[in-house]
Amino acid sequence: MSLEKTTSHVKERFSEAVLDVTEFAGEQIVHIKSGSVFDVLKIFRDEGFNFLANLTAVDNLTLGGFERYSVVYHLLSHGSVERVTVKAYVAEDDPIIPSVENLWKTADWQEREVYDLFGITFEGHPNLVRIMNPEDYKGHPLRKDYPRKGKTERTDFPVVERGISKENKT
Amino acid sequence: MGKQDIKSNILTTTVESAINWGRKNSLWPMPFGTACCGIEFMAVLASRTDMSRFGAEAIRFSPRQSDLLIVAGRISIKMMPVLIRIYEQMPEPKWVISMGACASSGGVFDTYSVIQGIDQFIPVDVYVPGCPPRPEGVVGSLLKIQDLVDKEKLFDYTFSGSK
Repeated sequence: MSLEKTTSHVKERFSEAVLDVTEFAGEQIVHIKSGSVFDVLKIFRDEGFNFLANLTAVDNLTLGGFERYSVVYHLLSHGSVERVTVKAYVAEDDPIIPSVENLWKTADWQEREVYDLFGITFEGHPNLVRIMNPEDYKGHPLRKDYPRKGKTERTDFPVVERGISKENKT
Repeated sequence: MGKQDIKSNILTTTVESAINWGRKNSLWPMPFGTACCGIEFMAVLASRTDMSRFGAEAIRFSPRQSDLLIVAGRISIKMMPVLIRIYEQMPEPKWVISMGACASSGGVFDTYSVIQGIDQFIPVDVYVPGCPPRPEGVVGSLLKIQDLVDKEKLFDYTFSGSK
């Protein structure tokens, strides 16, 4: 099935959820509300977009947009060799979005990465723990309001002195 | 055995200088390569700047058998506890080379996740500048470490049961 058909299909069935459909550099972007992301992506998957090429997030703090965060899904159809971008907008004060781990297994680690760096919670994820930062890390450093040099994490380590046997050494 | 034989076969020295001489010519480096400096460090061991000429070719990824820690590459906040543990596992006496800009100062990575110089947390003896340093620079730092080893005072060490 072709991309136009799928997009109109999605627009028909989820007229409430689809915020906008735009085009950039010859590729289609479907903007949707975060609540129905699972159902929308399920249609895309069932109609040929079998491969989740990428899952990431954007902080729209200075960019403007429907909401503060957008979770971006890049889909590829191996059958018709078409690509589509789905952007789901997540509110600032309650960043929760349904997980798509059930649709594509590859979403598992990518959702953990987005959770780690943006603090967006994926509802229904089997193992939502930090993937890159240390387990006891506080904060979500890829948010635009996070200081570039961090808070205190890069100086919070014990200082190891020279061994006792060398303490007379200058 | 004649008098002549004794002259050519016996030499007198101090225990200290004999130990230091042995130590500095048989350093056992523990490489801690986390980035491109770790790759560059391999070149130091290769034929052109062969580190075994200075008795330090026995690279052991085993801190408990090593006395020279070579930190080569950027240290992230997740890696720093590992580096501290490895430093503490090494037996005394031990020396540390901070190889390259990242290990010494964080380099270009002025971000939340990279340690801005390992010398904030563990004692460093010799810094090697460069990004990455030339192999000659690393050999130069090894010679500097050898000078430091040569200046060690046996008196500084306390042995168990004595002060």
